[in-house]
Amino acid sequence: MKTLTRTIHKLFPARMTASAHCDGPCGVYDPASARIAAEAVLSMTRKILDLDPGDTSHATVNSLSRYIAIKEEQAQLAKTDLLILWTDYFKPQHLEKYPDLHDTFWQAAKLCSAVKVEVSIEKAEELLVVIRKIHNIFWDTKGREVAYYTAG
Amino acid sequence: MRRNDSEKLQESNCREVFLWLCRRRRRCRVMGPSMRPLLSTDDEVLVDMMAYRHQLPLVGDIVIARHPTQLGQQIIKRIKGLNGDGQLYLQGDNPDPAQNSSVMVPESLVLGRVTSRFAESK
Repeated sequence: MKTLTRTIHKLFPARMTASAHCDGPCGVYDPASARIAAEAVLSMTRKILDLDPGDTSHATVNSLSRYIAIKEEQAQLAKTDLLILWTDYFKPQHLEKYPDLHDTFWQAAKLCSAVKVEVSIEKAEELLVVIRKIHNIFWDTKGREVAYYTAG
Repeated sequence: MRRNDSEKLQESNCREVFLWLCRRRRRCRVMGPSMRPLLSTDDEVLVDMMAYRHQLPLVGDIVIARHPTQLGQQIIKRIKGLNGDGQLYLQGDNPDPAQNSSVMVPESLVLGRVTSRFAESK
């Protein structure tokens, strides 16, 4: 049977393939990308709230649309970056040291959704607090001390 | 639950090849090192694409799944964990952490269960 299957394999290799590669370029992960996106969300939230709600001029409506679009986009980006970090980088052995790891990422993902739905500075700041916690856990798993900072 | 013979993979026997000829199994070629030492690049496996229509995935199963973020890519990994809301934790067998990246996928993205090794690349 082995000879038969090997012959078939050589003459007619399977067309269907499945990747058994490591998903990222071998360990290039960093929560900084999520932090930058979350900072952009906070900035856009502030800008939206700074606009005069009574001003319906084209210029203001245009600015409001742009701020909302960027907030939406950056919140989704933060969520995607966090989910990749959660599912691709972290492994079960990390849970032993950080038993609330899943809760932390779940909370962060929920906040990414909340900052899209709402115009809330509190939620945007809360998201940055959770990302800071993820930053500390992440670099601790790497055995490196990397100071947290914000661009804004 | 965990499948008993999870760390092994049987060679394709007459029954498996018969099922393949009857289109109840699909041949699939492995690309990459994350399932080593069990499976290497260019090894071929048989996959039961109907496996999870009537039964639930078990920890220890080797599965083919759609990648959750990379569109069009199929991955082969082992189920390392299940959680209650239909998410599967998949990881390669390779003991080198740089080569066995893990991924969380919803059950709906699992295409089938690997049932046997059809042929080795060497």
